[in-house]
Amino acid sequence: MSQSAQANSIAATAFVALLGQFALDHVLAQSGSRQADVNRGAVIAAQGTAKVPACAQCHAFSGASDGSGTFPRIAGQSTYYLAKQMHDYTSSARANPIMSPISKALSADEIADVSAYYASVDSQFPPLATADAAIVEKGKQLARVGDAARAVQGCNNCHGPDGAGATPAIPYLAGQYAQYISSQLQMWKRGFRNTGPESMAAIAKQLDDQQIAAIAAYYQQVRGQQEVPDTTDASAAKR
Amino acid sequence: MTDLSRRAVIKATGAVGASILPVGLASNEATAQEPRRPTTATDASGAQSTAYLFFNSEEAAFIEAAVARLIPADDKWPGAIEAGVPNYIDKQLNGAWGAGERLYRSGPWQAGTPSQGYQLPFTPAELYRTALGAINGELKAKTPFAKMPAAEQDAYLHSLEAGGKNLGGVPSNVFFATLWESTVEGFFSDPVYGGNRGMMAWRMIGFPGAYASYYDLVDQHGIKFDQPPTSLAEDVHGHVHAHPDIPARLP
Amino acid sequence: MVERLKPVDVVTVGVGMTGAIMGKELAAAGLKVVGLERGSVRDTVPDFQSPMIHDELRFAVRKGLMQDNVKEAVTFRNSSDQTALPIRRWGAFLPGTGLGGALVHWNGQTYRFQPADFIYKTHHEQRYGKDFVSPELTIQDWGVTYDELEPHYDRFEFLLGTSGKAGNLKGQIQRGGNPFEGPRAREYPTPPMKEPYYGALFRKGAESLGYHPFPQPASTMSQSYTNPEGLKLQQCVFCGFCERFACEHFAKASPQTIVLPVALKNPNYELRANCHVLRVNLDSTGKKATGVTYVDAAGQEFEQPADLVLINAYALNNVRLLLNSGIGKQYDPTTGEGVVGRNYAYQTVSNVTVFYDEDVNINPFMASGSSGTVIDDFAGDNFDHTSVGFIGGAYIGSIMTNGRPIEFHPTPPGTPAWGLGWKQAVARHYNHTVVLTIHGSSQPTRRNYLDLDPTYKDAWGLPLLRMTFDFPENDLRMSNYVTEKAAEIGRAMGGKTVAAAPRRGPFTSTVYQTTHNTGGTVMGNDPKTSVVNRYLQCWDVPNVFVVGASAYPQNASYNPTNTLGALTYWTLDSIKNKYLKSPGPLVQI
Repeated sequence: MSQSAQANSIAATAFVALLGQFALDHVLAQSGSRQADVNRGAVIAAQGTAKVPACAQCHAFSGASDGSGTFPRIAGQSTYYLAKQMHDYTSSARANPIMSPISKALSADEIADVSAYYASVDSQFPPLATADAAIVEKGKQLARVGDAARAVQGCNNCHGPDGAGATPAIPYLAGQYAQYISSQLQMWKRGFRNTGPESMAAIAKQLDDQQIAAIAAYYQQVRGQQEVPDTTDASAAKR
Repeated sequence: MTDLSRRAVIKATGAVGASILPVGLASNEATAQEPRRPTTATDASGAQSTAYLFFNSEEAAFIEAAVARLIPADDKWPGAIEAGVPNYIDKQLNGAWGAGERLYRSGPWQAGTPSQGYQLPFTPAELYRTALGAINGELKAKTPFAKMPAAEQDAYLHSLEAGGKNLGGVPSNVFFATLWESTVEGFFSDPVYGGNRGMMAWRMIGFPGAYASYYDLVDQHGIKFDQPPTSLAEDVHGHVHAHPDIPARLP
Repeated sequence: MVERLKPVDVVTVGVGMTGAIMGKELAAAGLKVVGLERGSVRDTVPDFQSPMIHDELRFAVRKGLMQDNVKEAVTFRNSSDQTALPIRRWGAFLPGTGLGGALVHWNGQTYRFQPADFIYKTHHEQRYGKDFVSPELTIQDWGVTYDELEPHYDRFEFLLGTSGKAGNLKGQIQRGGNPFEGPRAREYPTPPMKEPYYGALFRKGAESLGYHPFPQPASTMSQSYTNPEGLKLQQCVFCGFCERFACEHFAKASPQTIVLPVALKNPNYELRANCHVLRVNLDSTGKKATGVTYVDAAGQEFEQPADLVLINAYALNNVRLLLNSGIGKQYDPTTGEGVVGRNYAYQTVSNVTVFYDEDVNINPFMASGSSGTVIDDFAGDNFDHTSVGFIGGAYIGSIMTNGRPIEFHPTPPGTPAWGLGWKQAVARHYNHTVVLTIHGSSQPTRRNYLDLDPTYKDAWGLPLLRMTFDFPENDLRMSNYVTEKAAEIGRAMGGKTVAAAPRRGPFTSTVYQTTHNTGGTVMGNDPKTSVVNRYLQCWDVPNVFVVGASAYPQNASYNPTNTLGALTYWTLDSIKNKYLKSPGPLVQI
């Protein structure tokens, strides 16, 4: 790696470390001052606020979204992870034409509440057509073992047993819509998403389109209890 | 451990922790009702048939009573018995480790210096059997260990620990050290081995277990990481696929 | 019946780190190479997969990836007046086995030795006078200098993708790196790893005392990396299952991830696994190796003739192989004559435990094998030794690698050894404790050496290696001194209780310290005090090279791996550019 790239990496590392310190300061400042209000979060999810439409319009009140896979399933996702995505939209670390203005129009407390609400719900999985068995099997191999020839490790190593999630920072994949998983992997692959560890981009760049489709198809049909009693303060996600 | 998730609280009441269900009972229907993670409340012990494969009932009685003193329960956290440590030791002694895997077993045998470590011919299974036979033989005439009051049990264990007693060829301090090591292993190893039931010991200290990926969190210095642990043998439902004979317990 | 096979150009005894690199390079140079590995083939897929690999009991406690004592152990005694007895279960050190060797399950801590380390005897004479070092310490110069090795260190670090921050670029001291290090030509291939909390606390404490903390050089990747062999490594996720475990993420530099696939693709290279080499065969003159004899998995004996024999096994096994083959004059501690087995050394480690209140969450399970922060202020000869009463030193680091509870459950002094008080202390302190490592040098003495045991044998009927070793007083004084410095840092870190545990004698084989065994086939310029010359070529048998940390005349303050990697490329250089063109002794006496 060139020296200037090295210098940039060092600067980036230092910057991230600084952000980490801000996050810690924030956690310390907030600790003991406010617990997330799940009930208020439910109201925001159902009705929105003066400034934003209801989350339920796209994600459903149950968090199961609709069957199209355009909007991710967020039922039972970790509070920390949901809040972090919203903060990333607010700070423009992550960009989406629908989510970015919504996040920016929510206060930190509202983000904490609505994240806690969706983390607390469980919901049915809509019946979806299952992909070809061979494709699902291929996805299962990639999920569990990865692809040695491309030096890509199995997804489950980080995303938990069969994609159940590794709270608080690593989201579940089990039962997530194939369409959504594919689109996010493509985003990483093409450099349009770079929130999260650098390894996501490195891994996505190693996968071809067929592998991405297989991984997505596999996880969509995994059924598990994604929700976990999640006690990590949502404000810890603020970075 | 406080639990903010409303749904998890609803699910926790009255549900039996997933990890103690024998494999055969783990139907989709059953697991669909259960919380993903077992609760910390002690679940119905002795609810299913149990089997010691190595220990006879006298040996098991000593082991159960001894580990209960080595790592006792208190009002905050369970101890070795609740964790299934006797079962762990039983299964280890019945397996490859008990039979002497990875142990250089050739003679001649000589007592060495402390720096030279273990120099006895006994495999772990032989060591336990020999020592327990001597202990139970000695105590038969007096009070069996399991019937002693706790303070007397502790004194007896201290006397084993101090050495000076020969248990049929096993120095008592060597037996005690081995028993203590086995107890710590049974308390803290992955539940797949038959101890650390429900990962209760890991919950006590906050060790997250087998699934481990912390890039995002390692530089959030001092973060309170309060997540339920994972076993290497658990599936996506949080069900730990452990041996169906767990926990072995005397009736 | 011993079957005699077709001759090849090169045979390597062992396909661990040095065997994999040398095999790959010589095959690429057009030679026919056979790599004999006594253990099994294993690879990231399917053998190093999570979650099954994250099993503390099996791999850390039962040492699942290590050499099996049932087949082959080592006998040990502290001094020659004792009888050596078998190390029946590994304790202090854990020899590896299997394809890729110990680099499969190392921590990734990747230090260079310092310039002074290679001219150790001369350096001390020049700085402190000829009578300063006790004659009991048989320290020597290496015969090779840091400057000669620098390009090979560079090459090895880029093979591994080591993550770090240079402290000395071509003589210019760099902020954020180690100001004491020898000059390097360029930056590390990848930037330093993220600093965990235990490293940050140490950094602040060390800086407050005027020391110079820097990130530990790590071959667990800080970011994804493609090495010069075209092999890709992934970013490390700080899973806390590093040493004694293999990596499922392709994030740890191991032969499987950095070089073996290239060797295995080359038709010039043949890997034979489960082949245990018994001895190197010599011709009637005793000055030329004709090849090696080995036993395969089914117990069949084979003779593999070869023009060039490379001893690429673990340091201890290198020595044993020479002894069992009758190569070189065996060392006799009573006369001081002979060389094979001479100058065995180890590593002098100790620690300091810093206990915090329950509101300080350390999260030790979020760690890699080489994440953390270190100071070099008390390593080597980086400080004035005129009046301290010892030579050598140690680096001090906050380099915790895990929070695995069977082996890690610290409790403060005064805690009962078991019972309710023990359990409560464990619960109270597990996540609120930092352990500092003091990692120190090991001086050689006349009395510490390796030879063959007269009584105990391995599964093939050959004598076990016998180790006679105890810490010289020098090293215990060094440990005492530097451990106290570390305790001061612990107090400056704001610990509520600081418990210092300097290394005390005698050396015990029962408690884990490091697997840094060095010496026994020492390199040098004088055949009277070395087994191999400065190119690691055997003085007595010029077509045998012995490549391992067995070449080290003494062990410096640092982990041996990086220096061995540099020596491997240095030796390869001499073989490719000198030896192959004109086989014979590369150094004339």
